[in-house]
Amino acid sequence: MATTTRRAALGRLAGPRVRLFQREARLGYLLLAPALLLLLVFVAYPFLFGIWLSVTNSQIGVNGHFIGLGNFDFERGDTVFIQSFVNTISYTAITTVFKLFLGMVMALLLNQVFPAQRFFRAALLLPWIIPSVLSTLAWRWMFDPTFSVVNWVVIHGHLSATGVDWLGKTTTALTSLMIVNVWRGTPFYGIAFLAGLQTIPQDLYEAARVDGASRWQQFRSITVPMLRPVLLVVLLLSTILTFGDFTLPYVLTNGAPFNSTHVLSTWAFAIGVGGGYISIGAAISLVLFPLLSAIVFGVMVVLRRPE
Amino acid sequence: MAATRAARPVRFGPPRRQVGERFRGRLFRVYIPVAVFTFITLFPFYWMAITSIKSNSELLDHTKNPLFVLQPNLQNYADLFTKTNFIRWTINSAVVALASTSVSLVCSILAGYSLARLRYRGANAIGWGVFVTYLVPPTLLFLPMAFVIAQLHLFNNYLSLILTYPTFLIPFCTWLLMGYFRGIPRELEEAALVDGASRVQAMLRVVIPLALPGILSAGMFAFTLSWGEFLYALVFMNDTVVKTVPVGVVNELIKGDEFFWGELMAAALLGSVPVAILYSFFVDYFVAGMTAGAVKG
Amino acid sequence: MGEREPAWSRRDFLKTTGLAAAGLAAGPIIAACGGSPASSPTAAPAGAIPKPRPGAQIRLLQWVSFVPAADDEIRRQAKEFSDANNVQVTIETVTGDQLQPKTAAAVEAGSGPDIIQMQYGWPHLYDTACMDVTDMVDMLKGKLGTVNQVNDAFCKVNGKYLAVPYCQVPNAWSYRTDLWQQGGLSGFFTTWDELAASGKQLKSKGLPPIAVSLGHAYGDAITMWYPVLWDFGGREVSSDGKHVTINSKETTDALNWAIDTWKSGAISQNTLSWLDPDNNQAYHSGLITATLNGASIYIKETYTTATNHKFAAVTDNAAQPKGRQGASTLNLIFNHAIMKWSNEAETAKAFILYLMDSTNYQKWLNASVGYNAGPFKALSNADVFQKDTKLKPFLDVVGAGRWPGWPAQPSKATAQSQVQFVIVDMFAKAVTSGDAKGAIADAEQKLKRIYELPG
Repeated sequence: MATTTRRAALGRLAGPRVRLFQREARLGYLLLAPALLLLLVFVAYPFLFGIWLSVTNSQIGVNGHFIGLGNFDFERGDTVFIQSFVNTISYTAITTVFKLFLGMVMALLLNQVFPAQRFFRAALLLPWIIPSVLSTLAWRWMFDPTFSVVNWVVIHGHLSATGVDWLGKTTTALTSLMIVNVWRGTPFYGIAFLAGLQTIPQDLYEAARVDGASRWQQFRSITVPMLRPVLLVVLLLSTILTFGDFTLPYVLTNGAPFNSTHVLSTWAFAIGVGGGYISIGAAISLVLFPLLSAIVFGVMVVLRRPE
Repeated sequence: MAATRAARPVRFGPPRRQVGERFRGRLFRVYIPVAVFTFITLFPFYWMAITSIKSNSELLDHTKNPLFVLQPNLQNYADLFTKTNFIRWTINSAVVALASTSVSLVCSILAGYSLARLRYRGANAIGWGVFVTYLVPPTLLFLPMAFVIAQLHLFNNYLSLILTYPTFLIPFCTWLLMGYFRGIPRELEEAALVDGASRVQAMLRVVIPLALPGILSAGMFAFTLSWGEFLYALVFMNDTVVKTVPVGVVNELIKGDEFFWGELMAAALLGSVPVAILYSFFVDYFVAGMTAGAVKG
Repeated sequence: MGEREPAWSRRDFLKTTGLAAAGLAAGPIIAACGGSPASSPTAAPAGAIPKPRPGAQIRLLQWVSFVPAADDEIRRQAKEFSDANNVQVTIETVTGDQLQPKTAAAVEAGSGPDIIQMQYGWPHLYDTACMDVTDMVDMLKGKLGTVNQVNDAFCKVNGKYLAVPYCQVPNAWSYRTDLWQQGGLSGFFTTWDELAASGKQLKSKGLPPIAVSLGHAYGDAITMWYPVLWDFGGREVSSDGKHVTINSKETTDALNWAIDTWKSGAISQNTLSWLDPDNNQAYHSGLITATLNGASIYIKETYTTATNHKFAAVTDNAAQPKGRQGASTLNLIFNHAIMKWSNEAETAKAFILYLMDSTNYQKWLNASVGYNAGPFKALSNADVFQKDTKLKPFLDVVGAGRWPGWPAQPSKATAQSQVQFVIVDMFAKAVTSGDAKGAIADAEQKLKRIYELPG
């Protein structure tokens, strides 16, 4: 069991190393063709073009010329860039921790038997289902500087006299971003973990219980290791998507107050599209790439450790 | 084993807890946490619903308790249907989501089978390459992509979305389906091959039917993401009659100096209803489909 | 095609990376490098009146007007034009924030709407994609008189007109006369210092505050804080656009005024995240006494049949106050550019001329009930302004209008500085931290980077 899981975790996308079968190769590539074609045209080519942009001084509608790493160097001195960089990392790190924890709790809960189970499973998925633009607008309304219902509750619940300027102060604005992100993303973690939980054979728990293991010990030595593969994929996917998350920060704050809540994607958008300096925008977007690769690599190393 | 699991998702139930468990224990460990979760998760939806049935005067009246409605009315919904193209946008979203889901599924099934089942050099690298496309930030992509779309004369055309959405759908669906395919015992396929079927026929007749729960899961995932996508739809679709729901709502219910919150919230609710209904029917299959992907890593 | 064929063109790059082999890239790149102007029809000789081509289809992209009646009127005129000339004109509307990404994508892709409504200094930003319409503008000047200086500055790029002046959305102050009286204030303030004094008095009487956005509001934040800076004598950059001059005693004065006004509560402290709709919302709910805005607040109170008639009788408007060193205003400016890739340039030109025809334009102005004002001398007044004297301040502010980056000419750099809200953020930072010097230093650093780019 352990070996299979380990192999599975290790070699998710790696096939067994065997000698090349000619016919299989031809069929293999043929089957890959539609996917590869789409990805080449609509991802690879724009991506390469983006890299090209980042090493030129192009602007919207104007072809620039090659300037090496000038854009990257230029950005290093920009306080907003540095702040966006820091924001992106903390945004991703903090929300991931929360989503992990809450997703696990949610999965454990939904794994129980109780009435109207199916309703709850679908209901708790709603934040993830609704288009992000629309739910973020709803949250903006909830955090509205003048009419925030959250503030109303806070004030009438005597938690604070004046309420909180949710979107107007840097710290609270960043917190608001994280709150909405966790609200939106936890269901995905939850459902994935739930799926994972359902594959764990009950006899393992029975055996452990008979052996006198506490619930916590059962959790630590059975549940967590068995969930490793799910954990790996969900963490990877979520980290990557949160790093590049654009819609949420754009709709909720778009950098306010005074450009302090930008993440790299929104700042790249503001400079590149708003200001027309697409080469710098591309450079900023690309900063994410090595960073992400490093994180992906790190996550994989940590989670692929053999039990 | 895996095939059995795959074929009977609903039956694969939750762990059996001790039968005689005390109610109070469950209350604290299950019911109350579930209630808290549900409350936090669904409060924004409650808020959307309340906002959508308030009239403008109540909405902007800061002296009243905003959590309740004193004079509910459906005017916002009526306006949504009569004064905007909401129905048209919903149709557009549905068409685009269904089509891009289909395209993604076809590509992912084929690619997933190829990567999971067939052995050839480069499979490993390509598999990684497919996944790595996720690392490319969308804000970097959308301008060059606009250029490509322009060259193909696809602006304002459903195809611009149907061809670009799979770029972020295929990687995950492929991964999910690979897991599923690996879980199907080779013997079944080999039996078909022995019987004279070609690889492709074996794939179509044996493997794919068994992988239906996974395909369903992948499809639901793809549909959800397509339905909610914003940036590409904003840039590529221009005329109001071809806009998708997120773009149409944001475009026409925010007019310069005014957010039409009532109608916005009504649209937000209605804009998530179709997908929510889908999920309520198929949530167990969705979970089961993720299951196999989970196990096989 | 000077700007489209630099030393290391797209074609070279792709050949080098071998992508040309893919086949797909080669075609589009060659087309792009060939320059899209080659495909557009030759412009009519200067002085000739553009005629629409029967059977043509053109698209105009603009923002969604706050006043639905204005958009309805434009669509009506489009239909009239279409029917009369056997063409099809489609008007497409998006919000202000989205107009730019769409325009940027269209310019980058080299394809899109035939006419785009250029806001602020976009003709300078997208100069390679806009058609030269100098002959058209000269024709219009002949018929309609001089062009307002801001429209002119925005439309003229290197001596050529790259867009046709279209309109302005004037910003003036809307305020509650009843609250003003309750506060014991006799007249509306006419200088910035008086604003501070009025605000303090309102506060001392416990009345709702004066409020302006300090956030990234597309219109309201810029229309407030740029004039404040200018009226105290502060300048972002020198007139030649080369030297950043923000660090000066005048700027410090402006910031100190803002800090003092903020600290004393003379203006609301809740506006750091305010976007354009927020001050409207606050006003209609009675939470603020006065704010700077387009005519939308007044229009909503007075002209709409919605349920917000509460303050119709007690809302009045006033022009921008003056400063110690000047009296300037900033308004939203819109102009129409015909895009180089358009295959129906003549039809597009004919349609724009149709819109700018005096009678048609006046109809549109009246439909906007004061939200819009004209850029040409002959179009600078409309019946609605005569009928409703409360709308007069919105006409008054047009004359003193300036643009972001003044006194330098609009350019890519001024557009960048505006889009990054450098000046607004400087004020926001100053009031929240109380540190004027720090805020100036920060803004200076940002501006230097904008006006002095790499490569």
